[in-house]
Amino acid sequence: MTETLLEIDDLHVAFDTRAGVVQAVRGVSLTVGRGETLGLVGESGSGKSVTAQAMMGLIDVPGRISGGTVRWCGTPLVGEGVRRAPRNIWGREITMIFQNPMTSLNPLMTIGAQLQEAVRLHLGLRGAAARTRAADLLNAVGISGAARRLDQYPHEFSGGMRQRVMIAMAIASEPRLLIADEPTTALDVTIQAQILELLAELQSQLGLSIILITHDLGIVAGLCHRVAVMYAGQIVETGAVDTMFEQPAHPYTQGLIRSTPLLDACDDRLVAIDGTPPGLLIPPAGCAFQPRCPVATAPCGVPQVLTPTGTGAVACCRAGIDAWKVGAA
Amino acid sequence: MSRHPTLSVSGLSVDYPLTSGGLFRPARTVNAVDGVTFDIAPGETLGLVGESGSGKTTVGRTILRRVPSSGGRIQFEGRDITDVDGAALRKLRARMQIVLQDPYTSLNPRMKIGDIVAEPLLVHGLAESSDAARHAVRQLLDRVGMPADAADRYPHSFSGGQRQRVGIARALALKPSLIVADEPVSALDVSVRAQVVNLMQDLQRELGISYLFIAHDLAIVRHISHRVAIMYAGRIVEIAPRNDLYDNPVHPYTEALLSAVPVANPKVQRARRRIVHTGDTVDIANPPSGCRFHPRCPLATDQCRQASPPLLVKAPGHLAACWNRGR
Repeated sequence: MTETLLEIDDLHVAFDTRAGVVQAVRGVSLTVGRGETLGLVGESGSGKSVTAQAMMGLIDVPGRISGGTVRWCGTPLVGEGVRRAPRNIWGREITMIFQNPMTSLNPLMTIGAQLQEAVRLHLGLRGAAARTRAADLLNAVGISGAARRLDQYPHEFSGGMRQRVMIAMAIASEPRLLIADEPTTALDVTIQAQILELLAELQSQLGLSIILITHDLGIVAGLCHRVAVMYAGQIVETGAVDTMFEQPAHPYTQGLIRSTPLLDACDDRLVAIDGTPPGLLIPPAGCAFQPRCPVATAPCGVPQVLTPTGTGAVACCRAGIDAWKVGAA
Repeated sequence: MSRHPTLSVSGLSVDYPLTSGGLFRPARTVNAVDGVTFDIAPGETLGLVGESGSGKTTVGRTILRRVPSSGGRIQFEGRDITDVDGAALRKLRARMQIVLQDPYTSLNPRMKIGDIVAEPLLVHGLAESSDAARHAVRQLLDRVGMPADAADRYPHSFSGGQRQRVGIARALALKPSLIVADEPVSALDVSVRAQVVNLMQDLQRELGISYLFIAHDLAIVRHISHRVAIMYAGRIVEIAPRNDLYDNPVHPYTEALLSAVPVANPKVQRARRRIVHTGDTVDIANPPSGCRFHPRCPLATDQCRQASPPLLVKAPGHLAACWNRGR
């Protein structure tokens, strides 16, 4: 086991709304090791982005951390008794990139000024040294003609180039963990391939750990070492990437994989998971997937606990059954 | 069933104005679609794939006569519809319908589901009485798998997948022979996406509708289409039966596109050789000369820089526009 960098323990995040308290994250526990890429997979509303925001201390009113802790190398960042997180971790040791690179950049500042700001803040470099370092960063993320590009504004960059700039900024502080929240969802598929290639390169060069949040199982398959699948604010299954795709244990993971069409086969009918995820205003008492699950039985009405499997854990009393074959027959 | 293709498009071009002309300067235009040609047979699905700005949505809208064309012909069920207007156009529109991408913005939030689905019937005078309309709506909603009480509820009480079902019910109301589906499942989650794709396939088998299925997700397109056309910068670069196109792509752009799609299988995905092309998507306002893909193409020669390659038959039913491949 490699050294654990980030440790999340029984995290709860709630949002106070006019309709009531929405429990977006309900007891998530995760660890990320050095040099590891963890894929956090789930559909919209499953709580994957909120989990990431909690790791970065970005939960703001009306949201609140209602339980659990986030620790960085043993130091608590978020949770009970933590009044103010230690400085120099968020934004320096842990950095984050987002889905839409256009709204993350300041349209009124040149790319160079924004990069140099990050360099000055984190590395204490000024003037010519800061500019040189900014140009080096642009080179590192594969932007050619860096000297000229530094003086341009965000609107002069395409979507893929802007995401490269965001990555350059995120690695400016030489972080140990990069959280990437749907980093390629807004990009075309050929540009997406370039960005994913870049992330893989940076990881091997810098020994970076990455948490990759996505709904695209193909991206997970190519880039991640471990996967955690979220449903209705909880983790339903974790495991090594190969095991997860070959022998998914949870009926939801199985359904997710079987409902994703493959590029090289097309004659089977897609598995469709009937129904929709539950609302989290009044979360279901037992297994949240029960109403949509083809193999649900009586014990599914009680809360499911994560039990260890070969390479991870699964929260399902019917784990391991080929749910969708049984359902179809 | 008629002997004609449901839809036949030849040499279709669309120019969008960039700036209006003045006294001494000509108007500048963007050539968003350039000489697009294809057919769709009755009961067939043609997948139209391309990256953002490739002109795929414009093709769909031009066929429906929502966007004026600047060249080429559109034939629908054997009849030239390029220039029809007035009452004839209105009648035509009942026969070809659209399903849009975003089920959250394409339904009027202040109208009940029943009224949304009934609206086309009333506009086209196809329902004799409000009772008949109600009956037709109930049947349509049932057909797309919506609960019986849906007609009296508002869009906000339904999920994305259910709203897309309502969009499909509305498109089916006038019994069209062609549905242009513009990224109909892109906004939906994986598990729900499969529900809608399966529904569209069932409806086609049952009603013999033709689909122009516009999307950027190549895996979904392979799954639902009979034939697939790939667009790049306003032109079709390759069109073929789906298995031919995916298994034996001819055009270098198609190859690059297919190799860039991440496959949801870790061993396969790690072993795949990606053809990562440098360079960005093309700026359609200043398209390159000759073949529009040549600045990113590893095979580009002087001929590619100078002359635009025609779409030629490279194998039976398999057309591609490349100077260097499949001669």
